[in-house]
Amino acid sequence: MTSYDTVIGLEIHVALLTQSKFLCSCSASFGAPPNSQCCPICLGLPGALPLINEKAVEYATKAGLALNCQINHFSRFDRKNYFYPDLPKAYQITQDAFPLCTKGFLEYYVDDRLVQTEITRIHLEEEAGKLIHSGASIVDSEYSLVDYNRAGIPLIEIVTAPDIHHPRQARLFLEQLRLLMSYIGVSDTKMEEGSLRCDANISLKPNGSSVLGTKVEIKNLNSFRALERALEYEEMRQSQVLYRGGTIRQESRTWDDRAGKTMSMRSKGDAPDYRIFPEPDVPPLYLDPVWVELIRATIPELPLERLRRLEGQYGLSRYEATFLVNYPDFGELFFALVSQHFGYKSIVNFLMGDYARLAREKGHLNPKRIAGLLKIVDEGVISQTQGKGVLDDLFSSDLSAREIVEEKGLEVVGDPGRLRPIAREVLAANRELVSRFQNGETKLFGFFVGQVMRVTQGKADPGVVNELLRDELGK
Amino acid sequence: MIDRREVIRMARLARLELSEMEIDQYQKDLTSFLTSGKKLQQVDVSRVEGTSHAVSVAHELRKDEVGKSLPQEAVLLGGPQVQDGFFRVPRIVEAQE
Ligand SMILES: [Zn+2]
Repeated sequence: MTSYDTVIGLEIHVALLTQSKFLCSCSASFGAPPNSQCCPICLGLPGALPLINEKAVEYATKAGLALNCQINHFSRFDRKNYFYPDLPKAYQITQDAFPLCTKGFLEYYVDDRLVQTEITRIHLEEEAGKLIHSGASIVDSEYSLVDYNRAGIPLIEIVTAPDIHHPRQARLFLEQLRLLMSYIGVSDTKMEEGSLRCDANISLKPNGSSVLGTKVEIKNLNSFRALERALEYEEMRQSQVLYRGGTIRQESRTWDDRAGKTMSMRSKGDAPDYRIFPEPDVPPLYLDPVWVELIRATIPELPLERLRRLEGQYGLSRYEATFLVNYPDFGELFFALVSQHFGYKSIVNFLMGDYARLAREKGHLNPKRIAGLLKIVDEGVISQTQGKGVLDDLFSSDLSAREIVEEKGLEVVGDPGRLRPIAREVLAANRELVSRFQNGETKLFGFFVGQVMRVTQGKADPGVVNELLRDELGK
Repeated sequence: MIDRREVIRMARLARLELSEMEIDQYQKDLTSFLTSGKKLQQVDVSRVEGTSHAVSVAHELRKDEVGKSLPQEAVLLGGPQVQDGFFRVPRIVEAQE
């Protein structure tokens, strides 16, 4: 029986984080009343003349450079004609034959293996409008509502080569790509708001064959999980068809997240014929290589570089380093604290522990206030356990860690002169238990420690208490 | 003469409804366009660089600044059916397992 290899390619749309739209000055912000951010240009009214937003070109270039692409000196816009309700002009201004960026790659980890996926091209284009379907999905909607506020927002489409081999790899690729886009600050990359979207092409070919099978395009993938599940489903569906001796139909399928399956989409019209031609209203782009180099200089440390630095320079584990890379806000905090000379591991443990939970609920603390807390725990002014209480207070007040400790009288009492009378008192009040202890019931020791801690409201240094009690009981 | 079905297909792509008479007329007109085109194709352009714009202009870029949009009522004026500030459109695709 033949076994099959899975071949996956992705097309990712990333909405660029500009203030205004791609070819007009309507606001590109999210959440305004429907159809309130439209003008003759983005509605395609006759006589309107589009002008390219320079920030969109800059961001697309930045994305291309971060993905190791060649930035083309010459690129051109084309008009892609089709009728669809989310497209007010009945054509999309995009780049077809001469895209802005070509031939790049993204490196990322699949488990412990560093892999590369080739980026075929990146081009600039316009976003379509937003459709709200009357039914649960597009296929069971009698009608749909259209909002053109998003129509004309600048997008980049990133196309990978078909060199992803399994659904989980596709997900890891997309997660890494999202992270990269957020590091370079060109997009807010929110899948739930549609600023990062992904369509997937998947086909199966006989093991070892160099000929690709018939591919199916999957749309409506609204989360990383949906991407992975839809590909798993489609992998299974296609292999069942092939094992039964059937053939795969080249088509677009839509992912139904609730039903957990893909469904064929049959458009009411003919097969698409986009009649693409050079866009007459937008002249070609000629990028100055010097300008491209200026953009390159604005690219910050990228996720993979940061991962290597955290592992190499700071000796963090892959798990710790990945946490700091995947949550750049925590990463920045780590570097701020590291500069104040704390142990790398203790900072990471602190950030990944209770702090992470509290910061996610209430937002980050100023690194100075965190450093204050780490310092007094380090110096033994308060115990680790007390530190957790102080951390809670840091989130709910404006006081510094030291002020909180003073206000609550939390300093650890480690002075034997102060603790010995307390230990003696405790033993005197429990004569019977003391004699039982001396007759071999050694587990009672913990009880005496507990009593001293109770009397001192937990402020006694447990080491000193242990020592004193041992001394007193030995007499 | 170009195929009559080709004329019908092009009309459908452009969402044009043509009468039988108009189809006849366009069949003639398009055929004569294509004949002229054929004549142009005989010119040797092997040593001429391709062009996409009639005049060669360098791109002009706009600063990323927000300007005025149209009021919502004006935007919706062009829609045959509107609902709650949205355009309302009929069924888009049909499903199939
Ligand atoms: Zn506009």
